[in-house]
Amino acid sequence: MKRLSENILDKFSIDFLKNQVLKNAYGNNDTVIAALDPRVLLAWYLFFGIVPWFSHNAIFLLGCFLFVAATTRLAKVAGLVLFLFALGVFSQTGYLLIVTMFFGGDSSAIMPLLVLTLKVATVSLASITVFSGLDPDKLSNGLMWYGVPERLSFSVSYAYRILPMLMEEFQNVLLSYRLRSNPPKPCGFIGKIKYLAYQVKVVIQAFYPLMLNTAKRSRTTVEVLEIKGYRYAASSREVRKMRLSSLKITSGDLMFIAVSFLWVSIICLVSTVI
Amino acid sequence: MNIIEIKDLTFSYPGAKYATLKNVNLTVEKGDFLAIIGNNGCGKSTLCKTLNGIIPHFIVGDMAGEVTVCGLNTKDEEIGVLSQKAGYVYQDFENQIIRPTVLDDASYACLNYAMKDHRTRGLRALEKCGLVGRENDFIWQLSGGQTHLLALAGALSLDPEILILDEPIAQLDPAHADKIYEVLKDLNENHGKTIIVIEHHTEYIAQYCKNVVFMKDGTPQWKLPSREALCRVEELEQADIFPPQVTVAAHEIQKSQETLRNKKLPVTIEEGMRFFEGFRYLPNDFIRKKSNTNSTKSMISFKNVSLSYRTVKGEPKQVFKDLSVDINDGEKVAVIGSNGAGKSTFMKLMTGLIKPADGEIYLDGRRINGDSPERLSETISLVYQNPEDMFIKDSIENDISYAMRVRDTPDCKSRTDELLKAFRLDTLKDRDGRLLSGGQMRRASLAVGIALKPPILLLDEPTANLDIATRHEIMRTLSELKGVTDTVLIATHDMQLVCQWAERILVLCGGRIIADGERDEIFSNRRVCEIAGIRPPDIFTLGRIIDPSARCYTTDEFERSFRRETVCV
Repeated sequence: MKRLSENILDKFSIDFLKNQVLKNAYGNNDTVIAALDPRVLLAWYLFFGIVPWFSHNAIFLLGCFLFVAATTRLAKVAGLVLFLFALGVFSQTGYLLIVTMFFGGDSSAIMPLLVLTLKVATVSLASITVFSGLDPDKLSNGLMWYGVPERLSFSVSYAYRILPMLMEEFQNVLLSYRLRSNPPKPCGFIGKIKYLAYQVKVVIQAFYPLMLNTAKRSRTTVEVLEIKGYRYAASSREVRKMRLSSLKITSGDLMFIAVSFLWVSIICLVSTVI
Repeated sequence: MNIIEIKDLTFSYPGAKYATLKNVNLTVEKGDFLAIIGNNGCGKSTLCKTLNGIIPHFIVGDMAGEVTVCGLNTKDEEIGVLSQKAGYVYQDFENQIIRPTVLDDASYACLNYAMKDHRTRGLRALEKCGLVGRENDFIWQLSGGQTHLLALAGALSLDPEILILDEPIAQLDPAHADKIYEVLKDLNENHGKTIIVIEHHTEYIAQYCKNVVFMKDGTPQWKLPSREALCRVEELEQADIFPPQVTVAAHEIQKSQETLRNKKLPVTIEEGMRFFEGFRYLPNDFIRKKSNTNSTKSMISFKNVSLSYRTVKGEPKQVFKDLSVDINDGEKVAVIGSNGAGKSTFMKLMTGLIKPADGEIYLDGRRINGDSPERLSETISLVYQNPEDMFIKDSIENDISYAMRVRDTPDCKSRTDELLKAFRLDTLKDRDGRLLSGGQMRRASLAVGIALKPPILLLDEPTANLDIATRHEIMRTLSELKGVTDTVLIATHDMQLVCQWAERILVLCGGRIIADGERDEIFSNRRVCEIAGIRPPDIFTLGRIIDPSARCYTTDEFERSFRRETVCV
């Protein structure tokens, strides 16, 4: 039992969070999904991120959900992300169910809630698949191809670059707090609540030094961007073309499009027939 | 041919009262390997930033005079043109890496300047810097030394005529530092690059640089060939620069020995061998570095501690396996080993920030495996390698008093004032810690660390990036801690610090303690030094070459124990 509680506590450590975030951002570049062209993935995402909202057919939605779930598996998404996903989706709709029951609703409420759950789940899973399957560079190139301003696509890939640094810095600042603070003793129920409140407070307070440290670091980064010609590139058509030349549609992409198309057609057919 | 010509340059930062650079006149020849020396804050970095156009195009201050780089006047050219002539590697190089993967970052500048062959240029630069095989790795998979090499590759990919490096080896162990300088030497000799380094480590200047510019208060005082420059011992010491130990020792001995007056001072170990030819080792009664406390009370105790950490991909990495060690009350312990040997992790285990997977840790006789760092902070304190991460409040006064305030320590106010005074921070007490200079930041972080009067103090690289004056100050502070904080552990690469201060040395390598003992035992053991990548201070090495039984670790000891052989008839 002690082992188990230690194991669960361990999951909430910053170190574990850091590891999971990094895993999700960088650790999946050898999966089937990661090999796809970013433009294909983004278009695919556009479909599975929007269409489910406009359908009320449970069978069609179930079909979409199963398909997207399969791609999520292919993308080898990190455990924590899936856990958060499950928690998010089911706490949302589960809570609606409880409220409905409480105010005198009956089992007829289950069906519409199930439909809602399926919609939310499908869209969320599609997002997870796409964003963990795409490495930062591909994502920013894909976005650029679709005409998103250079500044935004640069920010996306730079955010990925500094993510590990930020996590590291945040961890250090938090440790600084822990080394010097005097938290309430987590004894008894009240004590535990107080301890939790203390921890939340520290996490929030740690953001302030984090911001300042990051600002200090970025002084160098801004100069370097200038030296490395970032400003030239932003206005040069030629650079844009060179950057996008790495994008290539392969047979794998075509297969992926075909399978998706086939599956969607089948579920459309099945849902209209039934 | 002069590749850089600076005429009557004066520069002050926007809003500053005084000029940072004053009447700078300097020429640098093509193909030079130039070192710029001077104490902290004398304008070395500012001078270098005028060469690649950052000043006056990006940092717009008051600039008078002319700077010509490769025949181009920097005032008339754009940064883009200038930065392709002069590449720059910053002191905080990890902030210089923009892209997530290695090859991408190396070729990023070339891509931005629309060079068709940007990938080949990136690859070529990586090859010159010895990073072949790492092209597709993510940045965070690189070690500190490799990250520095990548920053260099990024600058090199544009094929600039001049390369400028700001304190390239400040945070590196000797093996990585050698690697960087070997790469620079190759670029200088075989690829015709002009190289400018800002450097505190005079041993490296002696070995690699051709010329030296000495700066003081914003003005270059002189430019001389390295040999000649490093022999100006007194002038350098006055400006807080350590000349090579070999030179200092020779200089001192020369003062007392008539016959040596005409001999040229040595700057490298090889020259030292010639200079001290005919000298004999006559051991003097030194103060032996032995623990003066005979206490056997164990303050820190590790029993079969194992630890591994998660990696993003693949199996967890084992950091420690069955590590056992005891540290007694009052010991001064140095923890040494190469970058990534686990020195910081070792210290974090003691503070409870990291929990061991297996084994037990005792502090002052108490088992601490499950204890939170908050509970331990009255017994043990850790001062980080990076002082910025220790400042969690908006002024250093608040930072120092924080730990006492949350514990309702009765004399919190007076203790804070006392600490501010002791560390000479009273005039700075309202400033944010991050905005202080390097030395001030170190002092403030030490004050934060000892606020709760912990019996055990851990310091992670306390002397990195400091000039001698600041370093002496830190050393003095350490010696003043006696009485309250008696047990001190320092993790460091600074072997001069180890030799001057430590009574006991732990050598970490590959997750194990491979040696544990006094400096005599550690530095005389060639095998241990080789395996762990430790380089004894030059003066020790020189002594051993002259007489294999010699054991002197500081220039003072050397001076006292080596005598000219008198021929008996």
